[in-house]
Amino acid sequence: MDPFLISVLSNIGLFSFLALSAWILLIGGEISFGQQAYFAIGAYASGIASALWVWPFAVAVLWGTVLGAGVGALVAWPAARLSGVHYAIATLAFAELTRASLNVFRYQRDVEGYLTGPDGANGFRDIRWVYEAGIEPGPNLTIIALSLAGVIALIGLAARLNVMAQLRMVGEDPILAAMQGVRVLRWKIGAGAAAGGLAGLGGGLYAHLATYIEPAQFSVMTGVHAVAYGLIGGLGTALGPILGVLIDIGLLESLRALAAYRMIVFGGLVAIILILRPRGILDETLVAKVRSWVRR
Amino acid sequence: MLDLAQNTLDGIAAGAAYALLAIGFTLIFGVMRRLNIAFGPSIMVGVFLGAWVHAQWSAGLIGAAAATFAGVLIASVYVERLSFAAIRGDAALASMASSFALWMQLEQGVALAFPGRTTAFPTLPQLPDVRFAGLFLGGDDLLVFAVAGAVLLLLHRLIYHSHFGLEMRALADSPEAAAVSQVNTRRVAFLTFCLAALVGAVAGMLIAATDGQITPKFGLWATMKGLIAMMIGGLGSLRGALLGGLALGIIEAQAQWYLGAAAREIVVYGFLFLCLIALPGGMAGVRETGAERKL
Repeated sequence: MDPFLISVLSNIGLFSFLALSAWILLIGGEISFGQQAYFAIGAYASGIASALWVWPFAVAVLWGTVLGAGVGALVAWPAARLSGVHYAIATLAFAELTRASLNVFRYQRDVEGYLTGPDGANGFRDIRWVYEAGIEPGPNLTIIALSLAGVIALIGLAARLNVMAQLRMVGEDPILAAMQGVRVLRWKIGAGAAAGGLAGLGGGLYAHLATYIEPAQFSVMTGVHAVAYGLIGGLGTALGPILGVLIDIGLLESLRALAAYRMIVFGGLVAIILILRPRGILDETLVAKVRSWVRR
Repeated sequence: MLDLAQNTLDGIAAGAAYALLAIGFTLIFGVMRRLNIAFGPSIMVGVFLGAWVHAQWSAGLIGAAAATFAGVLIASVYVERLSFAAIRGDAALASMASSFALWMQLEQGVALAFPGRTTAFPTLPQLPDVRFAGLFLGGDDLLVFAVAGAVLLLLHRLIYHSHFGLEMRALADSPEAAAVSQVNTRRVAFLTFCLAALVGAVAGMLIAATDGQITPKFGLWATMKGLIAMMIGGLGSLRGALLGGLALGIIEAQAQWYLGAAAREIVVYGFLFLCLIALPGGMAGVRETGAERKL
């Protein structure tokens, strides 16, 4: 495959994790502008594990995922009691707090003659697992694609077990859900943990593909894009946020003619879709129609 | 001890500008129960237009001010039409996300229209600095403080002693009740947005003129400062905006002096996070109204 295409597809895959992470919270009725924090936590934690502690790749990425989920639950626990606007700003504050802390986070040591590890605002260089294991961009894309497929399958399974339906109930009307016996707070904390874990997984994969990460990559705009992907793609299915990523990265970023106006086109698209289709392109109504049409 | 007092004074001076930004946020939130995240970028459009007019025709402070006001007003009306008026009903989060999308547009629009990293902005007339008991206060800071105070007084008069203010408060209390009482809610919402834009233009101009230059980061900076100041002060309260702005300024100045620039960010965002969780009503203790719980 063409190297440019591989890098575009890899980026689409990685940002899909972040988009799905924000999407889960949107389903649960919350907007988070701070999912980039868990992406950063996953990236740093798994990068440290594989580069400094010389853990195997899979264990390192799993560690980033678990840490992302844990921190996600810890933040959601107090934040889920707040109103929607407070939740959004609290997540934003937490993400900026994480970024500012990573700016002063130094943890370096000598591994086989290389000084490596996070060096504050200078970033974290030489997460060398891909070179050492001799992984080419092609197989790396396969790893990302398989992980993403696994996540989507997991969400599909959750939908079969009525997990998603209960989460939607909590998101639509928490008071009504509580009256039906749904533990709203638990669901919100659970959604926070799942979203944090997903972002952490994406971050871990990202760190090992990019081999270099720095705090400035995890800015507010990254988190805003993650929310916007779900909002334009649609809240009806897990494919919605991925459609959003495809539109932004696949179409706008990759087409040279549009690249200079990317933010203007993308921003306008989000604003217009929010007016015309408040639940995105693939919204619940469309998904239900397609389902009934497929069953017939 | 002198350091502590001097930092507090510097903090209050910076906080006056933050308070003005927070007032713009709080006016919109107080009346519509929606956050306009694109407030800072809208101000940025204005100050860049002001700087451009100044560079083209050496218009000076007056010309730049007029262009700034026009720019902020145009950008704000654009945001109001697309993110607020067009999204009806109980959709606070949709409006917030939409204004974020317009932020992207405004930021890239400014970057394309006014290339270059920094742009000069006409400075304020030289004012005498004040020194007493070993403390120092710049003349510029005094002016910013005086303007912030005057804006606050005018707004207070407008909101509590005019018919339009009554309509604003009615809308803030309950849109349904306001509508059945013959208040034109769309008009009041639109005019509130314009009022916030004017306050934002005053804030942006003062900040740009004090610094003498503007950068493309101004939009992010203004939104963050105004938002943080409003959130720690209490959403939708004028008193909260003032308290929050001053508190933010003082905390920043002390953290910068004692802990350094990198730690300042950590302290500010940590404080904001704790405030949101422990004190959702803010320092002004805004009680949750029915409208707020719906968000």
